[in-house]
Amino acid sequence: MERSWWWKALLYGCMVAVACLYLVPTVVPEQKQPDFIRRHFQKRIQLGLDLQGGLHLVYEVHVDKAVSDKVDRIASEIEDRLNKNKKMSGVTITREGRDDIIAVFKNPTEQSLIDEELLREFRRQLDLVKRDPVSGTVRLRLDPDQIEEVRDSALRQGIETIRGRVDKFGVAEPTIIRKGTDIIVELPGLKTADFERIKTIIGRTAQLEFKIVDDGAEYMRKVAAQLPKGSGIEVLPESWTEKDSGKPHEDVYLRAKSRDVLEKFFAGLIGENALPPDHEIGYEETALRNDAGEATQDRSWRTLYLKRRAVLTGEYLSNADQTWDQQTGRPEVSFEFDHQGAVLSERMTRENMGRKMAIMLDDKITSAPVIEGVISSRGRITLGSFGDPFQMQQEAKDLVAVLRSGALPAPLRKTFETQVGPTMGRDSIEKAKFSMYIGAAAVVLFMLIYYRLAGLMANVAMVVNLLFMVAILAAFEASLTLPGIAGLVLTIGMAVDANIIIYERIREELRNGKSPRSAVDAGFARAFWTVFDAHVTNFVAGVVLYSYGSGPIRGFAVTLLVGIITNLVTSYWLSRWMFELMVGRRSGAPATLSI
Amino acid sequence: MAAPKQQKFLEIIKPHSTYEFIGNQKYWIGTSIFLVVLTIIMLPLNAFVIKSRGHLLNWGVDFRGGTEMVIEFSRPVDAGELRSTLRQIGHESSDVVRYEDPSGRNKNVYMVRLGAVSVLSTTQARQAEQALAKLGEASLKKFEWSEGGDKVYLRYDKAVPTATLSSSLQAVGINANQVQPFGRLEENTYEVTLVSLDKEIWRHLDEKLGPGTVSGVPQVESVGAKAGKQLQFDGVRSLVAAILLIMVYILFRFDFRYAPGTAAALLHDAVITVGAFAITYKEFSLTTVAAILTIIGFSMNDTIVVFDRIRENAARLRDRKFDRVVNQSINETLSRTIWTSATVFFVTLAMNVFGVGVIRDFAFAMNVGVVVGTYSSIFIASPILIWLNEKYLLSQRKTTARSGREARRPKRGDELETEA
Repeated sequence: MERSWWWKALLYGCMVAVACLYLVPTVVPEQKQPDFIRRHFQKRIQLGLDLQGGLHLVYEVHVDKAVSDKVDRIASEIEDRLNKNKKMSGVTITREGRDDIIAVFKNPTEQSLIDEELLREFRRQLDLVKRDPVSGTVRLRLDPDQIEEVRDSALRQGIETIRGRVDKFGVAEPTIIRKGTDIIVELPGLKTADFERIKTIIGRTAQLEFKIVDDGAEYMRKVAAQLPKGSGIEVLPESWTEKDSGKPHEDVYLRAKSRDVLEKFFAGLIGENALPPDHEIGYEETALRNDAGEATQDRSWRTLYLKRRAVLTGEYLSNADQTWDQQTGRPEVSFEFDHQGAVLSERMTRENMGRKMAIMLDDKITSAPVIEGVISSRGRITLGSFGDPFQMQQEAKDLVAVLRSGALPAPLRKTFETQVGPTMGRDSIEKAKFSMYIGAAAVVLFMLIYYRLAGLMANVAMVVNLLFMVAILAAFEASLTLPGIAGLVLTIGMAVDANIIIYERIREELRNGKSPRSAVDAGFARAFWTVFDAHVTNFVAGVVLYSYGSGPIRGFAVTLLVGIITNLVTSYWLSRWMFELMVGRRSGAPATLSI
Repeated sequence: MAAPKQQKFLEIIKPHSTYEFIGNQKYWIGTSIFLVVLTIIMLPLNAFVIKSRGHLLNWGVDFRGGTEMVIEFSRPVDAGELRSTLRQIGHESSDVVRYEDPSGRNKNVYMVRLGAVSVLSTTQARQAEQALAKLGEASLKKFEWSEGGDKVYLRYDKAVPTATLSSSLQAVGINANQVQPFGRLEENTYEVTLVSLDKEIWRHLDEKLGPGTVSGVPQVESVGAKAGKQLQFDGVRSLVAAILLIMVYILFRFDFRYAPGTAAALLHDAVITVGAFAITYKEFSLTTVAAILTIIGFSMNDTIVVFDRIRENAARLRDRKFDRVVNQSINETLSRTIWTSATVFFVTLAMNVFGVGVIRDFAFAMNVGVVVGTYSSIFIASPILIWLNEKYLLSQRKTTARSGREARRPKRGDELETEA
């Protein structure tokens, strides 16, 4: 045997060994795994949701609505700006289609009011399409780059919002990916009972609301006094003074380890204790502080008594950023309202000076700062005064993300849904396995009978191919779907095809009177491109399939693609190496081949 | 070295066979044309003539749009009873078929297919719009709902408490999971998230058939009608893309005379596989499209084996007529063409016989496709190659006549010209 043969032996040996290692986490139950496996080879094949049950949803994001909203907002900005000019005799701003703003001036000569200066401010966003001095009409259009950006950020925010909601739900391995303007959500292993709830949670349009905290209200004191003993709810007082006037504010709030406890308590109140219809209870998650006043890891929920009607929503925000407090150097969040938002905000802050304003996202208070001054178009939110600066900065950034995503809601629309209960999958796996054994047995037997020793080698190569495939799927943590299993079975049938092509060629060479050694050489050499081309065309079809399908079909495409690559290795090179065992002996080649 | 003794192999398809493939091609091509025409006739026949079918193909819910539910019952329920109950609750056209539970444990399982995706029907929506037109002081400005949508947007001229909205919706029989304000405050718009259809069906069935009759809904699939249309379109597009890409690869690996034959053969395979679904009226779903794409990739294996041999022989046997070369090449490679397909046929047949659900449909498509794919490599791809080669030679001869000697110098890639 030549030296290179032994090197190859080592190479294939290593490949098989590594493949086996990758398979351990999938095959062996966790308690029985050796320590080093548990440390280094954690990845395993996941069962697709058609096999373990779960929820598969596809949402279409109305990106065009986000774009149209953006243009609406810019149009009203421009209108306000022009109307400030008292000398002007009048202008009507209309919207056309998704992207266009049309300004018609009463006095055509005034169309020059949309001048360089005004345009410069919107330079990044608007293009001047047409200016008609005769009729006094100016047509502006949202810049294509800007359209792309708005669409893109609507999608990204859609994904982020969904991810945040799903994470809160505690699903084990959620997959949330983007495909075109669709968002695909896969929640394998989700309990059937939770399907409806999570669909409602995901499909909800992100809603950012600003509500006023009605501190010092009689209601909270009354309710707090009736709190039953041992309910796990604490009553805590709270006070602060207004920055400028020094007017004191006093309030009580309830605190408990979980939100559920608080919600149940309020839901149980009836008659004159029931929550007034114009008020609601907001819940805020806070870090518990230890005796020294430092925040600990423990979390708790507190209540805030809110006026039900939202005074402002995220719709009025035009921008938000994480900035730094000039005096204290602490991270803070600054935001900007659009024109209408500024009007509303000014009124609200003036009327509620010294009170708290709750910023709510998805029914949860993310922060409730005290109003310290009149906020018109720009405002700042200072975060609590304690805590680790790094963590505070993170909190500030999270809040920015919340504010920004609230600014542009693009409604989601569900277009596709599959729910699978857990039992459906288990039975299917059993049946699929059985058909796999039958199919494999037929192929193995055929190869053994028809090609004898060479057939045995093809079978070995086929088994190694399966091993590699499954190991690669495990290494990529691919999920195995029902069509994916079909892909595996199919690979068994296709794996030996390359061998058949090569063997038939070798037989031909032998019939032409070649010696076994040279027949094997010629057979492998001449069949290579045939085998290679066949694999490429299969691969092309697989790639197209991958880009077409989603969910289970994708699982199938992945198995198919992985199988095509590993199969080229095993059925050609590995088989070639095994053939050396038959014809590569130094002490004379055999006179016949078992093929 | 002494010539080694002639070896014997187990051969089922004998080497040096001299079957006439090309000479009899008119019968074979005739068969293909017959099958393709049958497919084309069968599709409208399904849609318009055969009453019990009603669609071109038995589209799965992923293409058709609608909702497909598997419902388990705790007591025996008659399919007719189920259908009439569904009709009572407003689902006129429903498909109810007994569902083969993979475990065989529960015998009372049905697959129900509905056209609807949303709990709200168009007529209901219209009723709701009228009922909600005036709520106290506020009047409805806009009722926004697209068919099949799971959300309704209501716009009023004045603010309305969400609780009032919920109860008014309930009064007209619309259950909502959630009602919340939407968009800008002064727009007074509210977003209503409707209850999902499967939950509503479950509730209604329990109401009409007695509480607890429905013991579970283990599988639900729902697809918006628009998404279904999009999937059909994407399916056809990816099929065309796959064929074109493969054609380009063949163009690059062989030459232009080989490419159209492969494309025609692939199209032929795809059409006849669709035909098998049109005739049997088996469910045509996303998995079927996956199978057809796989077939397209796999069918090329045989074509490449035959073409490779043709190219090799054409260079070697320059004194033979090209169609003879092709016939000989097909004969020489017959054994591998058949056995490579046979192994795949074995495993897919096993899946077809022993598998369940999706796997079974997939396997059926593969069974048809593998047979047709092998056949097309021999009887479709090769004759087109011969025909194109003749055309090419004719045009070559014309140019030669025109431009004299120069063009006569053989160029690379002209090996096919075997009449010289």
